[in-house]
Amino acid sequence: MTETDKMKCPDCGAEMNHHADKLDHGAAWDEAPDTGEGGVVIEAHACPDCGRTAARAAAP
Amino acid sequence: MGRMERPLYIPVILGTARKGRASEDAARFVSGEVAKREGVETELIDIRELGLAMDDEGESIKDARFSEQMNRADALVVVVPEYNHGYPGLLKHALDTNLKEYVHKAVGLCGVSAGGFGGTRVVQNLLPVLRELGLVTIFWDMNFSGARKLFDESGNLLDQTYVKRADQFLKELIWMAKVLRHGREHVPL
Repeated sequence: MTETDKMKCPDCGAEMNHHADKLDHGAAWDEAPDTGEGGVVIEAHACPDCGRTAARAAAP
Repeated sequence: MGRMERPLYIPVILGTARKGRASEDAARFVSGEVAKREGVETELIDIRELGLAMDDEGESIKDARFSEQMNRADALVVVVPEYNHGYPGLLKHALDTNLKEYVHKAVGLCGVSAGGFGGTRVVQNLLPVLRELGLVTIFWDMNFSGARKLFDESGNLLDQTYVKRADQFLKELIWMAKVLRHGREHVPL
């Protein structure tokens, strides 16, 4: 997939790798639409330089 | 530090707060075996010490330190006793406080029981929970049977066959941790 807005590592600033989409049944991600599957999809990202992980709501 | 030099971080979660828990000896043994591995850092996380709120659930009651430990982790070892064929409620309560921190990370399970089945039922019961949390379970478990008699009063292991079992378990876990780290950091979805 083409990533036009890569996440930056909150620790070291490196460009992160989007490695997973995960259905989140519990959290209230205001900016993400409910998928109809009982939760919202979050993107999981990891930093290739320092290993930090981060997440954000997937684009609708 | 570059990624090749960065050690793996594999904490061991002690999954019960019960007083007199036999799982503590098992967790200390496994943690010690992890610590012997070159290029691996570990620490023992006792869910008794997390002090999580009991009037709410999930990510809204995150413990900042525990969450950071899960974020940093490349893999987890969960030492879990079998209580009435299930896992301790407090372990589930603790695990549920994170989600994104777990995704595409390896987890190995160590079942503990007073009887002869070594927590096999609790291991089976916990697998779907870990899968839903985004963790990747390995196909080796450790099963501590007759846990009350496995350790002396000082917590020393009395049955050395567990050392070899731990070696097999950790070889698989570390392999999976390395592969998943590479995948998380370099293989796009």
